[in-house]
Amino acid sequence: MSHEVMGYNAAMGLGLVEEMRRNDSIFIMGQGVVTGGWFGMEKGLVAEFGTDRVLDCGIAEAFEAGLAAGAAIAGMKPVINMGFGDFALIAGDEIYHKLAKWRYMHGLDVPMTAVIIFPIGAMGGAGPEHSSCTEVLGMHFPGLKVVVPSTAADAKGLMKAALREPNPVLFHSVQGLGWTRSDVPLDPDFVVPIGKAATRRAGQDLTILTYGSMVPRALEAAERLAGEGIDAEIVDLRTLVPLDWDHALESVTRTHRAMVVHEAFRTAGPGAEIAAQIQERAFFDLEAPVLRLGAKDFPLCQIAELEQAAIPSVDAIAAEARRLAAI
Amino acid sequence: MPAPESALLEQMFHRMAVSRAIERLMLRHTREERFSGWWHPGEGQEAAPIGATAALRHDDYVWYQGRGCAWAIGKGMDPLPILGDLLGKMNGATRGKGGGVPHWADYSLGIMGEGATLGSVYPLAAGSALASKIRKDGRVSIADFGDGTASRGTFHETMMHAVAWKLPLIYFCENNGLLVGTRTEQVSASADIANLAKGYGIPGVVVDGQDAIAVYEATSEAAARARAGEGPTLIEAKVTRKHGHYAGDPQHYRDPDYLKDYRDPVDILAARLSGNAAARIIEQADAEVAAAYEAAKAAPEADVSVIERDLYHVA
Ligand SMILES: Cc1ncc(C[n+]2csc(CCOP(=O)(O)OP(=O)(O)O)c2C)c(N)n1
Ligand SMILES: [Mg+2]
Repeated sequence: MSHEVMGYNAAMGLGLVEEMRRNDSIFIMGQGVVTGGWFGMEKGLVAEFGTDRVLDCGIAEAFEAGLAAGAAIAGMKPVINMGFGDFALIAGDEIYHKLAKWRYMHGLDVPMTAVIIFPIGAMGGAGPEHSSCTEVLGMHFPGLKVVVPSTAADAKGLMKAALREPNPVLFHSVQGLGWTRSDVPLDPDFVVPIGKAATRRAGQDLTILTYGSMVPRALEAAERLAGEGIDAEIVDLRTLVPLDWDHALESVTRTHRAMVVHEAFRTAGPGAEIAAQIQERAFFDLEAPVLRLGAKDFPLCQIAELEQAAIPSVDAIAAEARRLAAI
Repeated sequence: MPAPESALLEQMFHRMAVSRAIERLMLRHTREERFSGWWHPGEGQEAAPIGATAALRHDDYVWYQGRGCAWAIGKGMDPLPILGDLLGKMNGATRGKGGGVPHWADYSLGIMGEGATLGSVYPLAAGSALASKIRKDGRVSIADFGDGTASRGTFHETMMHAVAWKLPLIYFCENNGLLVGTRTEQVSASADIANLAKGYGIPGVVVDGQDAIAVYEATSEAAARARAGEGPTLIEAKVTRKHGHYAGDPQHYRDPDYLKDYRDPVDILAARLSGNAAARIIEQADAEVAAAYEAAKAAPEADVSVIERDLYHVA
């Protein structure tokens, strides 16, 4: 099957279109999706599927997520584009109680498909209420699956997997990667399984566990480090719930050194849990403490330069990796 | 709207009598035996859910708020799964998730469940209503809520869209005049919740919530309107909460004679039945509930396997 170079958001949209063609229980709702979406993901959808399955709504995030839960319980497969991950907090009850717990509370072991798209992270001055990385919430509250693709191919393949998944999925699209382009398989059966990490660069000296916006930065840092004789392995986790511990631990027990890098806040961010578990599960294979890099624990500034200065840069990742290698 | 014919009337009365028998039993049970959680007694309010559910089709969707048990009974659930849950047994509807805040669901009966963060049901019911609109399956969804819960933002968010999209949705308010001990007027823009319908341009109907037939008629009309593609209706049933907010509530906030004008929904519906039907049905309902109670008591207790069950479905 052929491939095509396309943008991350467009690839996510292609995954959605292909699944909507396969399954007429899928519909999408969000603010501005009828006119193609704020970030281009929903271009052309309404022309193909009509306004029954492509719905615009008002500023009503709790309604959007609650409607997704109700429709999913009634057997539909809703996709909600929440516009920004920050709005998870507006729809907190609907996401972390209703979508996550409904079946559990009612004692029902039944399928329930729903995809909530949360665009997350810095995008160049969107400000502290439109740039949050909220994925850790989905790790903390049980009952949801949590993905964060870092490439266009994964954006497509994970979207398709999410729509075939019998459990609600929080699909975090990375705002900073939205317009990046890469190779995407066109095979309509190409799916990236939820719960599988990918090694993006093999290395022997240390493992950088990362995901989302930090994957390309970690790869760039690794190239620099290679010139200095440090051979870093880069693992793209891709899914945070369920996390691919086998993959992560296999790498770490081989390199004996690990660090976690993410754009989310450092304190109680995903890296806190990941580092803690690696230390619990691989302590005697480690030659150094597991390090963590994340955003400074301050709201993100609106000035694009300050925004970038608050989240891990290629320089910062390389510096931390050097420190790790030297311990 | 025509009044229900006699077979339906007897079914309504039977379900009301079963609900009432469970109410009586739970008041005694929570007082005298170990009970885990809070039970919110629904005695006095049974006519609202019984009348409303009688007006619905078997496959219509009900999303209820957790006072009493008459929504689930009205929609066709047996007493055993209800009592099994209340007693925390493995044979409850939730198979051991249990408790006094009810989470009885049976999708095949259109009993979709309860969200204990009140006000959850509005968007959930809009979700099933939108599903019906997309699938053109002719089903109606009902969101049941209390007067206190009319304040939730989800009420407005959902209604805005439900009206714009003409969703087959009924907002059903059980107005018992109280949010625990706070009176509706203290916290509401309107003493009649139905009044809010005006702003949305939809029918807002106040109905005598002690009279199951009146509720049946109002709900039938709203359901017909929803099925015809004309959109939502807001029904407000004025009901009486006979007991405390929860079982054991000393109710210091209430007038000592608050029940002086009390009209009992069982008596009101019984008067519509012919001959000795009411007495016969009550006797039968009491026996069914007593048997279910024994079966629930005899069932195994919820065990720790329940904790790790039902989180993710594996295809
Ligand atoms: C979102 C939310 N806030 C508060 C509560 C606590 N609570 C449970 S029942 C109740 C009273 C609700 O009043 P109303 O909606 O009038 O229903 P009623 O109890 O009268 O049947 C409250 C405050 C809750 N369960 N959920
Ligand atoms: Mg009330």
